[in-house]
Amino acid sequence: MQFKKFLLLGILCSVFSATFSQNKSATITGKVLDEDGIALPGAIVKLQEKAITLTTDADGAFTLKNLIAGNYQLNVSSVGMLPQQKQVTVKEGSTVNVKFVLKANVQNLQSVKVYGRTASQEVNRQAFAVTAIDAKKLYNTTLDISGALDRVSGVRVRESGGVGSNFNLSLNGFSGNNIKYFIDGIPMDNFGSSFQINNIPVNIAERIEVYKGVVPMWLGSDALGGAINIVTGDRYRNYVDASYSYGSFNTHRSVVNAAVTSKGGLTVQLNAFQNYSDNNYKVQVEASDINTGAYSPKATIRRFHDTYHNEALIVNAGVVDKSFADKLLLGITLGQNYKEIQTGARMVSVFGGWHRRGNTIMPSLKYKKDNLVKGLNVTLNANYNLGTEQNIDTMNVRFDWYGNSIPNGTSGERSRTLYKYKNNNGLVTAMANYKISERQSLALSNVFSTFAREGSDAANPSNNNLERPNKTNKNVLGLGYNYDVKDVWSVTVFGKHYLQNTSVKGGPTATTSKVGYGTAVSYFVKPNLQLKSSYEHTNRLPDAIEFFGDLENQEGNLDLKPQASDNFNIGIMYDFALNDNHHFSVTGNGALRHAKDFIYTRLNNNQSKFIADNRDGVSTWGADAELRYSYKNWLNAGATVTYQYLRNLQKYEIDQTTGKYYTSVSLLYLNQMPNIPFLFGNVDASATLRDLGQKGNSFTVGTNLLYVHDFWLYWPAYGTSKGKYGIPLQIALDANAVYSFHNGRYNLGLEVKNITDALMYDNFSLQKPSRGFYLNFRYFINKQ
Amino acid sequence: MKTTFSKAIAAVAITATLASCSKDDGPKNPGNFILAVTPAASTGVADYLVTAGSLDTGKVSIIGNGLEQDGTYRYYLTTNNKFYSMLYGQGNPGAVTAYSIQQGSLVKLTNFQTETVQAFAPVNNDILLTKVPRSIGADSTVYTYYQVNTSTNTIGKRGTLDALAPANNGEIAHFSWLQQVGNKVFAPFFPIKNNSFDSDFHDQAWIAVYSYPDMKLEKTIKDDRTSFIGRYFVNGLGVVENGDVYAFSSSVSTTSDLVGDKNVKRFTDTKPSAITRIKAGSTEFDKSYYFDFEAKSGNYYITNWLYIGGGKFVAHIQPKAKKGAYTAGSELAIVDVNAQSVTKVTGLPKLEDISGLTTNNYTPKDGRTAYIGVNLANTKCYVYKIDASTATATQGVEVIGGKITAVQHLD
Repeated sequence: MQFKKFLLLGILCSVFSATFSQNKSATITGKVLDEDGIALPGAIVKLQEKAITLTTDADGAFTLKNLIAGNYQLNVSSVGMLPQQKQVTVKEGSTVNVKFVLKANVQNLQSVKVYGRTASQEVNRQAFAVTAIDAKKLYNTTLDISGALDRVSGVRVRESGGVGSNFNLSLNGFSGNNIKYFIDGIPMDNFGSSFQINNIPVNIAERIEVYKGVVPMWLGSDALGGAINIVTGDRYRNYVDASYSYGSFNTHRSVVNAAVTSKGGLTVQLNAFQNYSDNNYKVQVEASDINTGAYSPKATIRRFHDTYHNEALIVNAGVVDKSFADKLLLGITLGQNYKEIQTGARMVSVFGGWHRRGNTIMPSLKYKKDNLVKGLNVTLNANYNLGTEQNIDTMNVRFDWYGNSIPNGTSGERSRTLYKYKNNNGLVTAMANYKISERQSLALSNVFSTFAREGSDAANPSNNNLERPNKTNKNVLGLGYNYDVKDVWSVTVFGKHYLQNTSVKGGPTATTSKVGYGTAVSYFVKPNLQLKSSYEHTNRLPDAIEFFGDLENQEGNLDLKPQASDNFNIGIMYDFALNDNHHFSVTGNGALRHAKDFIYTRLNNNQSKFIADNRDGVSTWGADAELRYSYKNWLNAGATVTYQYLRNLQKYEIDQTTGKYYTSVSLLYLNQMPNIPFLFGNVDASATLRDLGQKGNSFTVGTNLLYVHDFWLYWPAYGTSKGKYGIPLQIALDANAVYSFHNGRYNLGLEVKNITDALMYDNFSLQKPSRGFYLNFRYFINKQ
Repeated sequence: MKTTFSKAIAAVAITATLASCSKDDGPKNPGNFILAVTPAASTGVADYLVTAGSLDTGKVSIIGNGLEQDGTYRYYLTTNNKFYSMLYGQGNPGAVTAYSIQQGSLVKLTNFQTETVQAFAPVNNDILLTKVPRSIGADSTVYTYYQVNTSTNTIGKRGTLDALAPANNGEIAHFSWLQQVGNKVFAPFFPIKNNSFDSDFHDQAWIAVYSYPDMKLEKTIKDDRTSFIGRYFVNGLGVVENGDVYAFSSSVSTTSDLVGDKNVKRFTDTKPSAITRIKAGSTEFDKSYYFDFEAKSGNYYITNWLYIGGGKFVAHIQPKAKKGAYTAGSELAIVDVNAQSVTKVTGLPKLEDISGLTTNNYTPKDGRTAYIGVNLANTKCYVYKIDASTATATQGVEVIGGKITAVQHLD
């Protein structure tokens, strides 16, 4: 309805301009959209008769001015879409508006993970080493963001358990907090435990951008190993997208995304989601009888204290498309979570009562205005998390894996506590981009974040004296220059300044100031062959959790030093077709890194928790590759492989007794870093039957195989291999089937994860879920 | 791209090949001596166990050799010709692994779970383990004890004991260690009132005396000539051939005071480090025996000792000026409790080159010999053979890859 009105208005306008225009030349304006009505930026528009080629802007629009009246043929193409031609006749002094609705080139589109297609195309064509996941293709699955990321080459998501468990993502040999997470370009550091990449459903995203290595200026922050940017997009002005899934281990997930936008530009956007799981999957452990102490080796037992649930609601309201703002939104994120803690950092420590609660109350402001003055785009985001977290350990017992317990003194299961605290984290990001000319632009960004943990412990009131407010403030300022010859080559140079203040009450404030710089170049050899290269000298400042701990299984380390790293990346992207039936795309990335004060995670003393620590030096070289293949419009297959070799460059170890360096060269110098997967990959295939049962219905079956090579838990050089602790080779097979009907309005999906019920390990040999079945129902409707 | 990719494949192949052929599975130095070695670069990881045929010569390495153990801190005990490796895991349950030696190789006999314990000792055919609380409970404050049968290697009996009873002053009696004396268990202790190990009671030696195996607290014996006996995780008692018990005090009791908003530790002892005696069969300190260690040694104090027979101990000593509550002595002395003499051992590396001395060591109890691990600041580590008759040390086997934490022997 509304859309028709707009269209009518547009037509009226064109008529007016045609009638009253005094200009003798003719103009063609147009818009290129996909079948869902989403604008296609970067689509190529060719005016056959005049050999003019241009690309559509961010809104999918184009304008051809100063034309002589006559007949023209317009050819429009976009990667991943079928090209289209239209004949246009323009009269002298008139403007003609043309709309192109491109159909997806289905051979490429139906893959489980779409690589550099459609809306993700522009992202992939940046000079940075980047992969964009088209999240829309995963909406009918039960994946969360981290599950989607696990299928990207170079990425390993290491989760410590089932739904809601802690995770650690590694990207080209960097892991943990070396990688920063963003949502629409806003750092997620302070979003609280209710809102993390492993509990946000994939449906919230339009696409997920994975930057390997150099992170573009506009993302700001101090990411070192890479960045994940979740783009929620403003997909539709009016829509409802709701899904619910139920599966093994009593897992329920629901997601509702909706937006309404009035003619006057008032908009309300809503995202709501919920996850619940008992996580009572089977694990194989060396379980001991709590009374005799006798072990049953390889006992298969269900987890019994691992329930997790979280609920979140994000509401943004404001105005769009006003003279003073393209977007001005005030929002609030409300979330809460409950998490039972089954194990410590190792599965030998079992808990049966210890749990955590947390909530997120986070007001936010988002402002965006393009062409504030001509060529100047500005963005401002701010948020502050008022949420509270609580750690509850009050049972004075010790549990075994069978769920039995015995009294164990007076100090709780791990450490008796009712500690309730606020992290008081706030964030302000500002970004300005000025287009000097068609090819040159300058970008200035600043990210400021603050963290001040304060709390009290009702179980240890006398300990309040020891409870120290922990503060850290961080500011990252960056300036970049970009020169871009569209579709030929581009270069970016940038510099950054990092500043951090950290203090513990009663102690001095430690200030760190660092400088970083880098460059990224990309070159199109042919339209379908792109080469990329980037270098940066970068710094990563320890974050609040690494300094102060998470009060769960991560111990704080106040002595942590910032990591400095020189990173060099090269990449290639090549698409080709053998004939109309066989389409291929190949992507390869190589990375070399040399890190000083490399921050990595190890087990603490006693192995009860993890702790972030520095190694004096670590070098990494790695390569990842991806091959995708499609046959006609029904079969899709792909494979990724990643190899990364991290080598210890710390030449002298520190004597733990004296705290001084040993004077002779360490026997681990140049040894491979332990407990880091170094060879992994996955293979996937899917087939789609179209118009099954009824026109517009489709049925897709797919499978995904994950492979992770075995690796040692501790340093490879030490000890005989017999009896040495390691994480064994892992192979996990998943399968899914999705039936979509009523043109995608209703979708029914069935997933089986870990079909072979293989033992899957991760972070420090913690076990991941056994075989599970999940049923997913999704309803989607949109109104323009 | 092609080269990168083939490089990757080549690297994978090479790694796989290396992984498959660089390690062989038998010990490189078979023998009946066991050395526990803490790797130089592995914070948070337990010792590797290597065997050696001799402690007098040769080299043993943990690079590509030795048995990897799980956990971080491990303590070792040899009894009933079995080698027990006990995992101490604050917050994690403890575990015990028992080994024997067959054809010069360690053979894992069994593995069982316990609590993380603070003191353990062989008693009769058992190992007695005790877990000591660190905070005073509202209702009760108890020790948990386990009696592990070393024939069956299972927990035979467990129970709890009142942890406030031995000191009888409102504070927890934190056992420094346990020692079988006759048919009883002597548990020297230091009182604590919180988990910072603060106390209002100082300048006193205490030993709780328990019956065995029923673990009844028979009495607490006291002596106000010295501070507490032993130290955290250190056995301050030594039983000589005639059944007399000697006890040392390091004189290192501490407490903390609130200064501003910080707790500051301070020493509270006023009495010298000294050795006292309990005569065989008695459960009272022998008031006629007092060995002022500080005076006899020229202002040193004892941090640990090993009884080698014939009334002689090899003691770890430290100048009083460098006193610390947990500092381990970097020098050795032969202490003769009969002659009340202290003789510093010569022949060790220069003091400034020593990173630390091993505190869990081996003696054949011949009244003359001890093998002590010496860890140097340059990462080199050796076992030194101590000859008590001449008070000299001779360099023995070199240990490569980490620090020696225990030197043990099985038949």
